[in-house]
Amino acid sequence: MADQLIVVDDLVVRYGTATALDGVNLTVGAGELVTLIGPNGAGKSTLVNTLSGIVAPAAGTITVRGRLAHVPEGREVFPDLTVDDNLRLGGWRNGRRGRDTSRIYEILPGLVRVRKQRAGLLSGGQQQMVAVGRALMARPDVLMIDELSLGLAPIVVTELVAHLRELNAEHGLAVLLIEQNARLALGLCSRAYVLEAGRVVLEGPAGEVAASPRVAAAYLGGGVSAP
Amino acid sequence: MRRAALIGGVAVVTLVIPLILPAGQLATYVLLGLAAIVTVGLSLLMGYAGQVSLGQASLYAIGGYTAGLMSVHGLPSLLGLLAAPVVAAAIAALVGVSLLRLRGHYLAFATLALQLILLSVLSQGDWAGGAIGLQGIPRLSVAGVEFADDLSYAYLTWAALALTLLVSYNVIHSRAGRGLRALATSETAAAASGVPVGRYRLAVFALSAAFAGLAGGVYAFFVGYLAPGSFPVLLSIEYVVMAVVGGLGTISGPVVGATAIVLLVRALTEFGTQPGMPSYAPSVLSYAVYALLLVLAMLFLPRGLVPAAREAAREAARELAERRGRKAPT
Amino acid sequence: MTDLVAYILTGLGIGAGFALVGSGIVMIYRVTRVVNFAQGAFAVLAAMTASTLLAANLPHGVAEILAVAVAAGTGLLVGAVAIGKPGTTPGASLIITLGLGVFAYAVEVLVWGDQPRSFPGVPGAIDIGDSRVPAHYLLIIGVTVPVFVALAVFFARTDLGKALSACASNRYAARVVGISVTRMGLLSFAFGGALGGLAGVLVTPVQQVTFDTDVTLIVNGFAAAILGGLTRPAVTLAGGLLLGVGQTMIAGYIGGAYQTEVTLLLMLSVMIVQAARRSTLQEESA
Repeated sequence: MADQLIVVDDLVVRYGTATALDGVNLTVGAGELVTLIGPNGAGKSTLVNTLSGIVAPAAGTITVRGRLAHVPEGREVFPDLTVDDNLRLGGWRNGRRGRDTSRIYEILPGLVRVRKQRAGLLSGGQQQMVAVGRALMARPDVLMIDELSLGLAPIVVTELVAHLRELNAEHGLAVLLIEQNARLALGLCSRAYVLEAGRVVLEGPAGEVAASPRVAAAYLGGGVSAP
Repeated sequence: MRRAALIGGVAVVTLVIPLILPAGQLATYVLLGLAAIVTVGLSLLMGYAGQVSLGQASLYAIGGYTAGLMSVHGLPSLLGLLAAPVVAAAIAALVGVSLLRLRGHYLAFATLALQLILLSVLSQGDWAGGAIGLQGIPRLSVAGVEFADDLSYAYLTWAALALTLLVSYNVIHSRAGRGLRALATSETAAAASGVPVGRYRLAVFALSAAFAGLAGGVYAFFVGYLAPGSFPVLLSIEYVVMAVVGGLGTISGPVVGATAIVLLVRALTEFGTQPGMPSYAPSVLSYAVYALLLVLAMLFLPRGLVPAAREAAREAARELAERRGRKAPT
Repeated sequence: MTDLVAYILTGLGIGAGFALVGSGIVMIYRVTRVVNFAQGAFAVLAAMTASTLLAANLPHGVAEILAVAVAAGTGLLVGAVAIGKPGTTPGASLIITLGLGVFAYAVEVLVWGDQPRSFPGVPGAIDIGDSRVPAHYLLIIGVTVPVFVALAVFFARTDLGKALSACASNRYAARVVGISVTRMGLLSFAFGGALGGLAGVLVTPVQQVTFDTDVTLIVNGFAAAILGGLTRPAVTLAGGLLLGVGQTMIAGYIGGAYQTEVTLLLMLSVMIVQAARRSTLQEESA
């Protein structure tokens, strides 16, 4: 258990009287690529928001070793600020000295061209890169990404996935990926959780989860062949 | 059943009070009642239509000046009294058509701006008596019976308040009322369910204006004299405090709120007029208290006294039932 | 012709005061989504404090700066009450600032009494052709311009300024990144207090301030903020200056009885036009 960066134990989160997460257990280890899939409203974003400190749990524990960074659903860039400023603010928690953005431009060279542009004017894919780059500024050990592929063209998603693989392989970055595109998620990650109505209904190595009939039917389109 | 008994009891008590009050205090009774009438309308507006008005005193003023001007120019006083709510509602409807497109803080500004404009117009218009005001408004007389003493106005106010509460009750419990409640929580949801949002808002605005206008009309006859200085912006804020403290969206809330505030202010005026206090002390202390109450209410009792009291009563009843349940033999 | 120049200079001076009040409102609204109805109180408080300090023989400049600091501190207090408690909606905060504004008014009367006050500003006047423009108006312009420039630089170049802008443009993302939105909100209130206070201190020598607040200053300050849609400082600045020049010209050429009413009507029209352009959905998500 020593290299578990995130340990979520029996987590319960409520919004008023509605229970969003009902006793969730989840771990992310160092250098792991873990995915959390499930239908809309299952509570996936709630889990990430709770890990990020934005939502307070009602019960259960969260143990975190190392730094977490959050790439929110829908990118959520600062539209009126430039790309460079967006990145700088990603380093907000690092204090005054930790806001140098040059490292990010090395990892994501596609941002160099647009560094002075207002983030609100960029394409979806570029904004996603900004959001990822912003999260990387915090020098995280785990990158939590909420809906990486939503609204993005496949070619853009491929490029982003390549970056993630590179970061994982060369820098040991762990990733917790929330993803609607189950095929993509199970292809990239080594372990998976399936969340439905606030509960983990299935977990295990990605291959096994993908092969399970329940997942195949609900999330992988049954017998439909890949495009 | 219990509620009917409670209402009946309150009605009887409030009817008897004017008879036992010392003569000097009847004016307080009347002014309290009038403030309650205005606040009932404001509470409907804020609680059910979800809109803040920082200029309700301007509608009070419009009612007063309507009744006053008509009487001063020789028209029967009863006509003036009946015209007051109608004119106030009409002006509100006219203004509301453009104004009610604004939301939230913009509407708050706009109602405030309108009051400032009205006050300026009244101060500078000779037809309204200018800054000095409208003098010599005759006493109200209905079918030859003159309302000559404070006691008669006390009962007139009681009747007007009762009427206002009755109308409110009917509006809230009507189909339109349900649509209003939907409006207060979510406009898009209400619109999606077919509630004619714009029309309802306008209607509530006009109704609250009618209430305020009626109160203004009674005020004009009671005091016999009107000046722009009687309707400052701070009066509008007073009404907001009463509405918030009492409880928005309840029927008894405005009355409770008005009573609490007026009595409190009375006590402070006593304190502030003691020897050694500067001349402006009473009003300043009142304003400090209004402000403090408003802030405290918004922070800690946002739903107001009446809902909070009801909650507390419900909690107590529940605990009592539990305790009894435990003692009961199984 | 020289009349015109004099009116413009005077108008810019007064307009600068409006712009300062308005930009305080805008600063607070952008970051917290709260309309600060206590903004006028900051101006009055600073003016009163300055007059007391000057009467106590503190030198010019020091007294004014201390007064502005007091206003900033008051702004911070107002902010703490209005947004400090988690769960307070912007609508409730608006009403709270209204209450605090009235409370400040009561405090002002209790401390300083109900007589109008003023204090001397920059002495002398400059001649432009046949007209004289009190030199103090030039001081107002001379202070306001660098202040606005400094603010622009602060927001564009410093990390703290960027963080404030971030809260204004995307609160959720700001929290994701670790910016304390509450702390930024309090900071914006302090700034708002300082800007309001600066307006009060600069304008009082040429327009007496009383306990029931200088209505002109506040109404026009709000109008300038509304012209800027409550979110655009540059438009607020331009609007404030325009209102100032407009008012002086109307007073000079036509007669000055109805200035405040004209401003109010203008403000109402602008709001209605702006609202007509906006959709209901957009308003609800704000």
